[in-house]
Parts: sequence; structure tokens; C-alpha cells
Amino acid sequence: MTRLTPELLSWVGRQVTYHAPESLGAASFRYFALALQDDNPIYHDQDYATASRHGGVIAPPTLVCETNQIVQQKPNADGYIGHHWDLPIGNGRFIRGGNEYEFHQPVRPDDRVDVTWTLLDIYERPSKQKGSLVFVISEARYINQRGELLATNRETNVYAP
Amino acid sequence: MTELSQHFFEDVTVGDALPNLEFTTSLAALVMYAGATWDFHRYHYDPEFVKKVGMPAPFMDGQMLGALMSGMLMNWGGRDAFVRRLSYRQRSTVFEGDKIVLSGVVVGKSQEAGRSLAHISLNVTKDDGSPVSRDATASVELAMRNL
Repeated sequence: MTRLTPELLSWVGRQVTYHAPESLGAASFRYFALALQDDNPIYHDQDYATASRHGGVIAPPTLVCETNQIVQQKPNADGYIGHHWDLPIGNGRFIRGGNEYEFHQPVRPDDRVDVTWTLLDIYERPSKQKGSLVFVISEARYINQRGELLATNRETNVYAP
Repeated sequence: MTELSQHFFEDVTVGDALPNLEFTTSLAALVMYAGATWDFHRYHYDPEFVKKVGMPAPFMDGQMLGALMSGMLMNWGGRDAFVRRLSYRQRSTVFEGDKIVLSGVVVGKSQEAGRSLAHISLNVTKDDGSPVSRDATASVELAMRNL
């Protein structure tokens, strides 16, 4: 029996936008790089970065694609505060399938980010080990306060039974 | 100030290997990334919680792999580099205690829309050789020596 109920499929095409209340700030770049043990000066050294083609410090590329702080909701029972489609799909295991990022321009400390998530597709694939897997494809578009496209992120998530 | 050596577009050759990046997934590293990304899901730090959902230990968020790959590419490209595209699929979960190794090789070069790009094939494995990533590829914009 298919897990693709009409109710689940009605989620395809849904869209939600979150607005950050403040700019990212240079400290967030340094924190992110520190967590990755990455001492590349382009993320924190103003003199070094000013002499570069970028003209100033820039964010680690995927920082803008982590938007939990933009959503501004209280932690759920699992501690999570970020974007989440509340899909009618049961309580099976959630598996990250992968990401496709495109970076249109470097992100700056004064960028204030809006992110729009669109649910692009839902499909089902059989799996010998795990039974029917449901694949959910979403796309996020990140723009700054001037409406400039910073990045897009197409994400695949898999829901096991 | 640490100066990174630049890799200029003209000097890069198909087949060039990038320096490997090794990363040890300590609980502290998971907590630092969770904090930096406001990701307070118990998956990343709560051993009791993850056992209840059938996982052996706290584990890395999938996007942390992308962050590590991007960082490796930016360090290789040097001061003026910028990652333009990155995609990967995840084959296995990286748990607390796992050591992972990221490697990359230049598989192509192109100039399009005024950008000088090196195309990189990436691979992430655990230190026992088991695969973490699948179909990982990226395009990095590099500086030109003669501009």
C-alpha cells in the first residue's frame, strides 16, 4: 500500500518565508568557523579580507543555509527550533538524503536574511532493508535586505516507515 | 595573520589532488557546531535520547558535512576563492567518536559568465574506509593570475 496519501501529496507546492530580525554579524562567522576548526582569515581578519577580491570578511559558504535562528519558534520536545514541514507521514525515522547548494554571492556581516522554503516534490521508493521510503524534496532561497539572491539549497529528506 | 597560498586558475590542472581534511567528531565538536547554527536538536548531544530513537550515539547534522567540504575548498582556493556550487548525498551517519577524512580531486576547469571555475570531485570516508558521502561535487571560483 502506498504511503503517498492525498493528504500528504497536498503538501507539494507549499511555501513558507521566515524573516531574520537582525543582520548576521561578523561574530557569527567567527563562531561557525571556530566550530569547524577552520582558521581561514577570510572569515574574521578585516585587513586580510579587505585586500581580497571580496573587499571584506565573508561568511563560511554554507552558514547562510543554516537558518534555525531565523525561524524564531520555541524548541519542540526534541529541542529543535528550526524550519520543519509538519507532514502527515507517521513517526518513522528521518534521514538526511543530501543537499545541493548554489552560492550566488558572498554573505556579509550586515546581511539580514529572508529564507523562503518551497516543498517541490514528494515520491516513494521501495527499499529492501527499510520498506517503503518517502523522499521529500525542498528548496530554500536566501535573500538579503536588498532583495539580492545569496544562495539556494535543494534538500532531500527521507522518511522511513 | 595566516596567509593562505592562492591557487590560481591558470595553475590548476585536472588530476590535482586537494590536501585532505581530517576531522574528529568529538562531542565537543558536535556541540560547538550545534551552537553556531542554533541547532539544539537532542540528536547532536543527548546520548540517552538518541538511544531511544535507535541510534548508537549523538551524530553530526548532514549540513555539517557540507560546511566541512566548503571549508576545505575555500582553504584550497585561497584568499580570493569562492565556492559557487556544492552537492552531495549522504550514505552513512557520522557519530560521536568517528574520525572522517575528506578528499578531493580536480576533474575539470571552465570559464563561464566571467567566472573561472575549478570543478572538484569530493569524497568523505570514515577512517576505516567506509563511505560517508556519495556523488559529492563542487565548483570553486578561483582568482586569475593574469587579470
